[in-house]
Amino acid sequence: MKKFVEESWLILLLGVVFALMLAGAQTTLSARIRENQQRALNEAIGEVVPHVSRTEVIEIEGYQVFKCHDEQGQLSGWAVRASGSGFVDKITLVVGLSPDGERVTGLKVIENVETPGLGNKIEGEWASQYEGLSFAKAIQVEKGPPDPARNQIQAITGATWSSRYVTDIVNEVANRVRPKLAEHR
Amino acid sequence: MAEENGSNFRQFRDGVIGNNPVLVQLLGMCPTLAVTNTLENALVMGAAVTFVLVMSNLVTSLLRHQIKPHVRILVFTLTIATFVTIADLVLKANMYEVSKKLGPFVPLIIVNCIIICRAEVVAIKNGLARSLADAFGMGLGFTTALSILGAIREILGSGSLTLPGGATSLKLVQLPAAFEPHAWIIMVLPPGAFLTLGVVIGIVNQLRYRKVKGGAA
Repeated sequence: MKKFVEESWLILLLGVVFALMLAGAQTTLSARIRENQQRALNEAIGEVVPHVSRTEVIEIEGYQVFKCHDEQGQLSGWAVRASGSGFVDKITLVVGLSPDGERVTGLKVIENVETPGLGNKIEGEWASQYEGLSFAKAIQVEKGPPDPARNQIQAITGATWSSRYVTDIVNEVANRVRPKLAEHR
Repeated sequence: MAEENGSNFRQFRDGVIGNNPVLVQLLGMCPTLAVTNTLENALVMGAAVTFVLVMSNLVTSLLRHQIKPHVRILVFTLTIATFVTIADLVLKANMYEVSKKLGPFVPLIIVNCIIICRAEVVAIKNGLARSLADAFGMGLGFTTALSILGAIREILGSGSLTLPGGATSLKLVQLPAAFEPHAWIIMVLPPGAFLTLGVVIGIVNQLRYRKVKGGAA
């Protein structure tokens, strides 16, 4: 026992000191980290649904759904936070639905680690193609010029898979969340 | 500890030029290749590594008489892991966007061999001043090397240069939109990292070779 303490007191002591330091850093910073995540989410909701002044969080099929109201208290749309697999790792996005749940009002990718310069274009201008598409049938990914009448979007050159994964997540929301929106209206 | 005085500056300078961890020792290749696609990522990664290096050398040097030789690696790892976690939390709280881009490469500083190498080679045998000079030198050398790669790759691959600045990143250079079709996509991809690193190391070796030859003549 004496030998054990002699050999390892420093490790034990350092373990305790470092644990305290980490606990301190965690408690001081965690509020700010959560705030950052919340702000990123709120900004995304504001981008995908027009006229949001108040949101109400509900859960449908395990998805976080934000019921959005405008200044007059009218339902202005729905924002759904959804994630799914991407080409590299998980992609998390927020997709906006019109009040009747028929059309996509916007899409914003909030977390992704897709290939820089190719796949990570999903977080930019590219996502605006989804705006106005219908939820009535599945959205398709085209390599060539898309035909909006057939509910298509154009894949990013060199990142067809990233484009498909984003579309898969949106179609999944269409299939699982959209039919249940009426119950919450 | 005999020659502790007088050579602190030399220890610092060696980390940046003579014995640069990336370009001469070829250590820390994982972040060097993975996060140098933009200058911003390179600078933030360099700063995080410098912070961990300084703290690890500080703790190791202060405890050098208490650390038993056979548990030293355990002490190094414990120290490094703690300060990496702190750096990761600070980045997430203050530079959320950049920390998202760096992703797993900040926690991976724990296994960056530059840091454990400096603890083993310098901090455990030397006093505080020399250990800190070494840590700052190596940190600056690492940051410089990463920034050179980051700047080259960002200019050629994306046509811009961006300095980190929290919410408002500062654009140093923005090539006109006409450049966009000519951007070398490959430069922001992993092969671009290898190509740039190879060219830069080649140039550095050429310079060192010339210096050695010049000295002998």
